[in-house]
Amino acid sequence: MLNFLRLSSLADVSEMLWADGPVSALIAGGTDLLVRPERLASARILIDISNLTELGGIGVTPDGDLRIGAAVTHQEIADDDTVRRHAHLLAQACAQVGSVQIRNRGTLGGNLANASPAGDSIPALLCLEARVALVARERGRAVPINEFFVGPAKTVMQVDELIESVRIPLRRGRWVSFFEKAGQRKGMCCSKASVAFLAQRHGDRRLTGVRVALGAVAPTAIRVPAAEAALEGQVLTLERARAAAEACREAARAIDDIRSTRDYRREAVSALLLQGLLPLYDRMRALARPRRRSRRRR
Amino acid sequence: MSLTIHFTLNGSPVVFEVEPEERLVHTLRERAGLTGTKLGCGIGECGACSVLLDGKLVPSCLVLSAQADGHEVTTIEGLSKNGLSDLQRAFVEEGAVQCGYCTPGMVMAGEAVLRRYQRPTTRQIRAGIAGNLCRCTGYAKIVSAIRKTARRRAHRRSGR
Ligand SMILES: Cc1cc2nc3c(=O)[nH]c(=O)nc-3n(C[C@H](O)[C@H](O)[C@H](O)COP(=O)(O)OP(=O)(O)OC[C@H]3O[C@@H](n4cnc5c(N)ncnc54)[C@H](O)[C@@H]3O)c2cc1C
Ligand code: FES
Ligand code: FES
Repeated sequence: MLNFLRLSSLADVSEMLWADGPVSALIAGGTDLLVRPERLASARILIDISNLTELGGIGVTPDGDLRIGAAVTHQEIADDDTVRRHAHLLAQACAQVGSVQIRNRGTLGGNLANASPAGDSIPALLCLEARVALVARERGRAVPINEFFVGPAKTVMQVDELIESVRIPLRRGRWVSFFEKAGQRKGMCCSKASVAFLAQRHGDRRLTGVRVALGAVAPTAIRVPAAEAALEGQVLTLERARAAAEACREAARAIDDIRSTRDYRREAVSALLLQGLLPLYDRMRALARPRRRSRRRR
Repeated sequence: MSLTIHFTLNGSPVVFEVEPEERLVHTLRERAGLTGTKLGCGIGECGACSVLLDGKLVPSCLVLSAQADGHEVTTIEGLSKNGLSDLQRAFVEEGAVQCGYCTPGMVMAGEAVLRRYQRPTTRQIRAGIAGNLCRCTGYAKIVSAIRKTARRRAHRRSGR
């Protein structure tokens, strides 16, 4: 017999999880939980956290982090000016989750707790070096995103813990970023492969702080240090873009599964990185050009 | 164990007894008798069940009825209280309806686009209906119907 509970405070939810963690399931947007009959069947209590104000909101904390509440939806993130200013890459990734309908329901917390290797927010959060703020009855902790996932559908969360928010350190300077994914259909679950890219752009066109992360090509999303090294501290050239793409192909430890094959995924991540880097290459050259031209005219 | 839920349905307050695992699409069709909203895939992929929840387009097959408690739901019936809406008329004029199964969800998605953007681009329209499958029309006429309605509403707003 299933029970549905809507609790009015985080403290009550924590209390409930502490007492009944193993038989209860949290539900936020429900876009993962409600398409998994087996998860629903094993739950005796559904706890609705979609209306908890403590899990909502987007803002900057006193210690200089961007805080995004766990129950904030993908669409709210994609549309939010504060996110677009400080963590544009995350807005880019969330804007590509599912369809409008899914983005209006699906939450950031649900995407992380679900821990799919193909969760689209994850490569973006890896690049942004986010932390996942967890709360339990009498304790809280912040786990760096690269330590949060243990394997497909597995995280470091204990049965009595829940995600309160995601914290992203604010950055100075000008940053460029993109999120590219390949899937069967826009508006359909699960990327077959995805690439997130973040770098600081300097006046002399060099890129520093380069971060490259891949989704859906390993048991959890991964960073690709070799691809980052190929671009770090350099002016973007086609040669270097190709080297980074090759590094992504090498890093993809994908397996054949129901959604795609290993070979396709290795090709896809390399092509997706190029697909994002080529417009960036053009843009960076265009940024450099006008100055030269105006000098000539004078 | 059933629950009592209260919400606003197409502008009027309603009360239903629902099961904890019951989906909003079921409550709308079976308890409220509003069969305009269709059930297609039941897993969020086809958009046939789309309704507005607090003004936002959602798949009613993936919303628990209990989660709608205290909120505001608009269905296709709510858009056509005084006969066909302008968007529905444009669907008819453009030939954007064939078997019609996707149509209520498509109209809801189109309405959500028109509420979000006063002058939507073709790209914005296509993105707005990307979650809605149509196996008959080929989409082009649906896009034209939404675009036509955007133009008409813009005219009306500017008082011409
Ligand atoms: C048609 C369709 C298309 C989709 N497309 C994509 C896509 O393109 N990219 C993508 O990444 N995902 C996609 N998804 C998956 C899903 O929409 C996302 O993972 C979404 O972010 C899940 O959030 P939710 O709030 O709906 O999760 P829910 O279903 O509410 O919860 C999922 C799991 O997380 C747990 N949980 C939720 N919130 C918390 C919390 N705060 N703390 C601890 N545990 C929590 C729940 O107990 C549950 O086990 C798609 C799903 C569907 C049905
Ligand atoms: S029936 Fe809800 S999306 Fe298909
Ligand atoms: S008209 Fe038949 S599915 Fe769209």
